[in-house]
Amino acid sequence: MSDNSSRRRVAVTGFGMITPLGRNTTETFDRASNGLSGIDYIKSFETNGLPCRVGGEVDDQWIEELLPQSARRLQAYSSRGLRLMSVATREAAGLARLDLVSDRTRIGVSLGSHGDNPSVEDISLLHRFYDGKGNWDIRGLMDAGGYSCLNFFRRKPDAAPALLSMLFDCKGPNLSFVSACSAGAQAIGEAYRIIREGSADVMIAGGCEATLNFTGFIGFVLIKALVEKYATPPQASRPFDRKRNGFVMSEGAGSVILEDLDHARSRGVPILGEILGYGDSADAYRITDTHPKGDGAILAMQGAMDDAGIGIGEIDYINAHGTSTVQNDLTETRAIKAVFGDRARQVPVSSNKSMIGHTIAAAGAIECILTLTGMHRSIILPTINQENPDPKCDLDYVPNEARSRRYRRALSNSFGFGGQNACLCIGSFEE
Amino acid sequence: MTDTVVITGAGITTSIGHTVSGIWTALVAGNTGIRPLGNGSPDAAATVSGLDPAALGIHPRDARIMGRHSHMLIKASRDAYAAAGIVKGDFAPEEIGFFAGMGMVDYSISDLMPGLLKSLRVDGSIDYDLFFDSGFREIHPLWPLSMLNNISFCQAAIGLDIRGENTVFSPHADSGARAIAEGVRTVLERKAKIALAGGVSEAVSPEALARGRYFGVISRGEGDGNGTCMPFGQNRSGTIFGEGCGIVSLELRSSAEARGAGYDTMITGYGSSCRKDAEANCPAIDAIALSMKQALAQADTGPEGIDLVIAHGDGTLRGDGNEAEAIGLVFSGLSGQPAVYSSKPAFGHLLAGAPAVDLIIGSAMITQGIVPAVTGAYTTDPTIGFTLVKGQPLPLRPKRVLINALSYEGQCSSLIIEAAVHQR
Repeated sequence: MSDNSSRRRVAVTGFGMITPLGRNTTETFDRASNGLSGIDYIKSFETNGLPCRVGGEVDDQWIEELLPQSARRLQAYSSRGLRLMSVATREAAGLARLDLVSDRTRIGVSLGSHGDNPSVEDISLLHRFYDGKGNWDIRGLMDAGGYSCLNFFRRKPDAAPALLSMLFDCKGPNLSFVSACSAGAQAIGEAYRIIREGSADVMIAGGCEATLNFTGFIGFVLIKALVEKYATPPQASRPFDRKRNGFVMSEGAGSVILEDLDHARSRGVPILGEILGYGDSADAYRITDTHPKGDGAILAMQGAMDDAGIGIGEIDYINAHGTSTVQNDLTETRAIKAVFGDRARQVPVSSNKSMIGHTIAAAGAIECILTLTGMHRSIILPTINQENPDPKCDLDYVPNEARSRRYRRALSNSFGFGGQNACLCIGSFEE
Repeated sequence: MTDTVVITGAGITTSIGHTVSGIWTALVAGNTGIRPLGNGSPDAAATVSGLDPAALGIHPRDARIMGRHSHMLIKASRDAYAAAGIVKGDFAPEEIGFFAGMGMVDYSISDLMPGLLKSLRVDGSIDYDLFFDSGFREIHPLWPLSMLNNISFCQAAIGLDIRGENTVFSPHADSGARAIAEGVRTVLERKAKIALAGGVSEAVSPEALARGRYFGVISRGEGDGNGTCMPFGQNRSGTIFGEGCGIVSLELRSSAEARGAGYDTMITGYGSSCRKDAEANCPAIDAIALSMKQALAQADTGPEGIDLVIAHGDGTLRGDGNEAEAIGLVFSGLSGQPAVYSSKPAFGHLLAGAPAVDLIIGSAMITQGIVPAVTGAYTTDPTIGFTLVKGQPLPLRPKRVLINALSYEGQCSSLIIEAAVHQR
C-alpha cells in the first residue's frame, strides 16, 4: 500500500435496471424520454389515513418473468431488493458477457442496499415476546415457530451482495454500503477505485432498494419528507418546480459492470462508457437538513471533476439528485451555480426522479445508467412536471420534454440523508 | 517517490476500558469484559458502560436518536483526533476523510410499541385500520433517523466538522477492515491529508442476540470455558457478542513528520475476497487464504515476513476451523510459524468494530514487545497447526502483524501493519 500505483482506466461493459418505469434499461429509458411517469397510488399495502399515498412500485409480474433461475433457488433468503438487483444484474452481466471471465477471484461486488424492513405482521408477532423493558422471551419466540430466522437475514445489508456474489460467481472484493440515498453512487465510485488501484478486474456495482412497505414508508411520513400535496400521482414528483413539496418513494435496482479497460479490450466486449472520476464529501451540518449553501454538494462535484482531471467547461450535462423536496432542489441549484459560475445556466440539468421517484440506494446507479444511455442515443432526459417556475431554481432543467443533443461528459449527483454526498463523472468511451 | 501511511492516533472503547493504555493493561492482565446479561437472559455479552451522552457533550435532542453505537463512535473518533495531536482548525474540513464499518442498526420494537399499543383490540390483536389510520402517529417522529445505518456516522462527522471523502460499510468485521483500507487509499491518493478510519459494533440488543441465536453462531455455553468464547478451542461452540469501537487517524508518513506527529506503525497490506462455506455461516477456506495472500502481496512480503497473526478467531466451530486451515495453507512449509492471537475472549465479537480494535492492540504489541495471552483457560483444538498464544503473555516484538476480519456471509479481509521507521 504505497503511492506508486498506476491509474487504470475503468470502462463500463454492461448495465441493467428494473424500475417503476420499465423492466430493463431500454424500456425505462424509452418511457422516460417520452416524459412518462412510473408513479401511481400504492397498491402493495394499505395507505388509508396516510398523508402520502403514492409511490413508484415495480410490477411483481416483471420480477417473476425476469428473475434468473439461479435466484429462484435462493428465494427464501432473498430480500425484495436483492430480487430486483438480480434482475438488473442479469441484464448487465449478459451485456458484459460476464460468464466468460475466467478468473472469478478478480470479479467483485459493490452494492448499496439496506435490506428488508420488518412488516407490521412481524412486529405484531414479535411484540408478544417482548416485555417493553428490553427483554425478550427468546425461547417462547422459538417455540412459537412463527418468526423465520430468514427475516433477520434479509434485513442484513451484506446479505444482498453476498448472495449476488453466489449468483454470479464473483469471488473478489464484496462490499455493502449503507449511506442512504448516496449508497448506489458510492458503491459505483468505490468499485471504480478498486479497479483503478488494481485490486479487481471487474466489479458488479450499483444499488437496490425495496422499502415501499408500511414500516419503511411511515418512517419517511413521520419526518415529513414525502410529498403530501399532488393533483395526480404522475404529478407528485416535480423537482425544481415551485409547487414541489416532498419526494416520492420508489423501488428499483441498477447494476453496472465496471471493468479495467485493458481487461475489457482483451475480451473483446463492447465498451459502453467510462467512469472518469468520483468525488464524495460530508455536509457535517445537520442530520435533518442539507447545508443551505450546498457546501457538501460543491465538494463532491468538484472532487469528481478533479479526479477525472477535467474542468467545468468539459461537462455537458448534470444528472441532478433532484428529489422534489423544497430544500434539496434549492441547495443543489445553489451548489451547481457555485461550481459552474457563469456557465451554470448553459449546462442542462435534469432529474430522473421526476418520472421514477426516489429509489434511495438504487438511485445513483439507475441515474448513472440513464446518463450513459442518453450519451449513446444523444438524448437528454427531461424533468417533467415543470409547470410553475421557481425563481430560486433558475437553471435549465430540460423541462417536460427530452432534448436531442450529443454529449460526452456528465456529472451524476447523489446526496444522502444525514449529509453524505457522492458525484460520479461519467464519459462516453473515447480512445 | 514512495510514501506510506502511518497511524498517528487511536481512539478505542470496549467493555474493558475506554483508553488505549487502559485496555492494553487490562488485556495483558488477562481481563475480559464478557459478563452474563442477567435479567433472566441466557446470554452473556461484553457490553460497554460508562459512556454518558451528557458527559460526551451530546445535546439531549441529538441523544434521542443515538444508540450506544453512536456514543462509542463519537468518543473513539474524538480520542483518535486528540491522540494525533489535532485540534479543530488544524486541517480544513474538506481535507479530512472519514471511513467506518458500522454494525447493524435494528428496528427497535420498543420504539414502535407505542403505535402498536394504541392499535390493540380488546383481545390483544392488532387493529390494522386503527394502526394505519392513527396508531403510527404515536411513534416518535425522530424514530426513522435512529434506524438509518449512516446517521451515527454523520453525527460524528458533524461533531468533528469532517467534510472530506467518506464512506460507510456494513455490517461485519470485513466492513471495518475495508473502511481502514479506504482511509489508507484516500491518504495515499492525497484526497485527504488525514483520514479517520475504523469501525463500531452494533449495540448488543435483544434483536442482535436473537439474530445470533437464530444463525447458530452464539456460544452454547458448553465445554471447559463455561460459556465463554473459546477461539480455536477444542470445545468451542460459538462466539459472544461485544460492544466496542476503534478509530485510527491515518496520515502520510511525510506529512506526519512535517507536522511533528508521532507514529510507531504503518499499514502496508490489504486483501479481500468472498466465498461462503457451503455448510456454515462463515467464509470458505480458499477465500480466507486468498485474502491473506493478497495482503501479503500488497505489503510486498511473503509469509515468512509475518511474526504474528491476529486471527478473526470468533470461537465458532466451522469458522475457526476454516480460518485455521487457511492459516495453515498460507504459512505451510515455513520453519518458524507465526504466533496466533485472538482478542474475542476479552472484548467479545465486535463485528464491524473488531478489525480497528485489533489494529490498535496489534500496534501496541509491536511497540510494547508483548503479545498478551488469549484470555481464558481452555484446551486448544489439537487439530490446529499453529501455536495460539495461551497461558502467559509472549515476549515478542513482532515486525509485521497480519489481521483477519471475516463475516458470516463469506466476505474476508486481511490487513497488515508493521513497525514504522522514522525517516528523520
